[in-house]
Amino acid sequence: MLETRAFEPEFIQRLDNLILGTRRARTIRAGRRNVGRIQGGGIEVENFRQYAEGDDLRFLDWNAFARLDHLAIRTFRADRQVELTVMIDASASMAVPERDDKLGLALALGAGLAYIGMSENDPVRLVAFARRRGGRTLETTPFHRRRESYPGFRPFVTGIRCGGETRLAAAVGELLLERRQPGIVVVISDFLVNPGDYEDALAQLLAARHEVKLLHVMGDREAAGTYPPPGAYRARDSETGEMREVMLGAREAEACRQRVEMHADRLRDFCTRRGISYARAFGASQLDAIIAQEFPRLGVIT
Amino acid sequence: MGFLNPGNLIYGLGLVLLVLIYLRSRARPTIDVSSLILFEAAPAPVAKSRLLRLDLLFWLEALTLGALTLALAGLYVRRAMPVGVHRSRALVFDLGAGMSAVYGSVTRLDLAKKQALEVVGDAPAGDDFSVIGYDLEAETMRAHSTNKSEVRRAIAALAPAAVAVRPAALRAALIDARGAATIDLFADRPPPPGLVDEARPDSRVNFHQVGGPADNLAIVALDAGVPRTSEGRCVVRNFSMRPQQCDLRIDAGGREVFHSPLILEPRAQMIVPFGPLAAGGLVHARILTSDALAADNDRYALAPSIVQARALVMSPEAEVRDDLARVVLAVNPNFLVTAVDTARFVQSKAAAQTYDLAVLHDCDDRGVRAAAKLFVFPEPRLDRDAPAPLLTVTGSVALAEFQSRTDTAPLTAPVLLGPARLVQLPGWMDPLARGASAGGHDSFPLAATGRNAAGEAGVITFDIRDHLLLDPDRMDALVLTIDTLRAMLVPPDLKVVPTGTSVAVSAFGRAVLVSPGGSRDLLAPDQWGRVHFRPRAAGRYFVIAGSRTIEVAANYYDAAESDLAAIPPPTPPHATPRAPNAPVYREVRAAPATMLLVVIALIFILAESALILRQASRWGLRHV
Repeated sequence: MLETRAFEPEFIQRLDNLILGTRRARTIRAGRRNVGRIQGGGIEVENFRQYAEGDDLRFLDWNAFARLDHLAIRTFRADRQVELTVMIDASASMAVPERDDKLGLALALGAGLAYIGMSENDPVRLVAFARRRGGRTLETTPFHRRRESYPGFRPFVTGIRCGGETRLAAAVGELLLERRQPGIVVVISDFLVNPGDYEDALAQLLAARHEVKLLHVMGDREAAGTYPPPGAYRARDSETGEMREVMLGAREAEACRQRVEMHADRLRDFCTRRGISYARAFGASQLDAIIAQEFPRLGVIT
Repeated sequence: MGFLNPGNLIYGLGLVLLVLIYLRSRARPTIDVSSLILFEAAPAPVAKSRLLRLDLLFWLEALTLGALTLALAGLYVRRAMPVGVHRSRALVFDLGAGMSAVYGSVTRLDLAKKQALEVVGDAPAGDDFSVIGYDLEAETMRAHSTNKSEVRRAIAALAPAAVAVRPAALRAALIDARGAATIDLFADRPPPPGLVDEARPDSRVNFHQVGGPADNLAIVALDAGVPRTSEGRCVVRNFSMRPQQCDLRIDAGGREVFHSPLILEPRAQMIVPFGPLAAGGLVHARILTSDALAADNDRYALAPSIVQARALVMSPEAEVRDDLARVVLAVNPNFLVTAVDTARFVQSKAAAQTYDLAVLHDCDDRGVRAAAKLFVFPEPRLDRDAPAPLLTVTGSVALAEFQSRTDTAPLTAPVLLGPARLVQLPGWMDPLARGASAGGHDSFPLAATGRNAAGEAGVITFDIRDHLLLDPDRMDALVLTIDTLRAMLVPPDLKVVPTGTSVAVSAFGRAVLVSPGGSRDLLAPDQWGRVHFRPRAAGRYFVIAGSRTIEVAANYYDAAESDLAAIPPPTPPHATPRAPNAPVYREVRAAPATMLLVVIALIFILAESALILRQASRWGLRHV
């Protein structure tokens, strides 16, 4: 399975020099005067303010009090931490076609992005989402900040199994309930859902002021329209179980390929309009090429 | 249970319908795709379809249906089951004359019945029994049954016959008991050594000897002699190990001609002369002293008539005529014998006479008027214009061997005869002896008698030239000739036969048989008007056909069967040793496999249900 490559030394070595770029400043200020900024416990003094009851006396400027007989509290600029959340689609469609190993590709790329994201010691987590029967929509890892703890993702990555429906909007809704500060959210999926579903999900992420990046994963044979082979079938939707009688031939295979292309173009157009980074990862056999050619589209820089 | 049961047939058709629906519904393979969004442009198939999809569900359902079908068809398996829970037992009874011998106050058969009823009573419910009797042949009185009442009734209905048991009948009875795990053999004497192992090498045979040594007197033979000419003789034998008193009485024509107590030495026989009788008819000798076996205490014989009769002896050779005349006179001295050369018969005065008996050697019977005709070495039909002869000669053999008689056991050694004719006997004639050509295997009759509407007829097919009948080395030929003559000369309404033989009586219609016990049976005639029966009890039988009554006296005597003193003392029931490698206490039964098949079908259905549930949990019930 491809996901095991994410923890091979050669693979990790290739990612060592990569940095995940972000559009956000790494330092922010919080307070009544700076709405939207977050005041934190950094080391760089930003301002003074009048002491109020309950303030931490450790931040009282004793020198000013000695000279001016005025109680003033020092405030500091907080260090900006950009949380990186890599959402990986673990729905049933990621297991079909089985030989394409779409889930393995998604996990390998997701883990690679997580490793890259840890270059600045930013907190990074992996989230698998799928709407399973009687189960949770999201499965998350703890945040890891340092690359030394990267192997901590391994049990999660190798333990993910496909099943259930995608329900991307529901997964995003559940994620946003955590009410964490805005960060970077990378969504890795085949996006084989109703366009309204992913548009709704992405709109929610943007509304929560997250920087959103999409990695569109498809299988080799699926993207080429060569699955299933020509013949008469009862095609069963791997997620909904809905069945449909189909007759596949060369012309129908080409129609399927065009359908994939059209679906990807529509997704890309939507991302372009909404300022979302979009990259394609079509084919597990193209892993190295994807890292080299498609990761820069997501802001990965050397 | 089976396909021909209308209910099962409907059920089977229902199953077939379900199979067809299932196959139709699974006509195409189902394949998982990531999303149907990608296949919206793909058209649905119109004509192409697969009728069969060989997946796991299919095989499970096929196996389920197969198991149910075999269960409906009544599949069974033959398997060796350990004896102990439900055993199959065969109760084999000796029904020979010895079993009617009294031992204590009851007969040996009564003792055997008592022991058998104990066996049946001690058996656990579910054991099945068969009841088999044997004397001259083996007969299954009751086939395998677990109904003990029926088995008890079958045992109670057993009755001994006044016949000697044949070893072949015992062997057949043991073979008939095949399938039984245990055979209980009830007899008054042990079976011949090796016979049980030979017939039933793989079964457990429990031998129950009933009765023990007993004193018995028997009339071995009775010769009425020639009335007014020679004495009759009665041979009485004592089978006991001690002297016995025998009160012997002989009646002739309803009148007592001899009555005297006799003392017989241990295991000795006595020849008791009586007569000469004053007249012919039925002679009845009986032992009035009570002994163990009653069947051999009576014996009947026929005394020839004292009325002077005419006999014609005709042959082309003078020596033959002389020999035949002597034999005829030996059988009945009251015959006035006329011996005629065949070539001179037509011109002689003898042709104008009517005879009571005509013995015709190597000639036909044209112009002969006789109530009984005996053809000796009959002449083939040479003149096609002549009327059809009574007997059809189909050929000749140069050298014949006398091999067997129908009323006795086969001869110990074949008797070499001279030339013989091959005769096609009419259906109303019964062969008395059979032979074969020397070195050949095909059997043909040597002597036969019968009665039709024209009168009594007999045939001796071998040639008697060169004084064959007087040859001391070939006495069997003479005896056969005499017996044939006697069989022809008995009155038409009186027969003396041994028990166990098949008796044919010319009744020319339906007849009623009155047995010695008084029971009546209706006898149907065959195409020649003869009725047949086999006397199994000694005594006098009466065949009533219209206004005619034919009396048949049945004699019983068998030296081995009557020798009750030679029987070893009874021993406790014991099992005969079995063959070293024979299966012990096991029996082969046909066990229905219905339950097993239903269980297998249920397992398959459960497995299929598990698969369907798994699919349902994955896709939801709508898509299973």
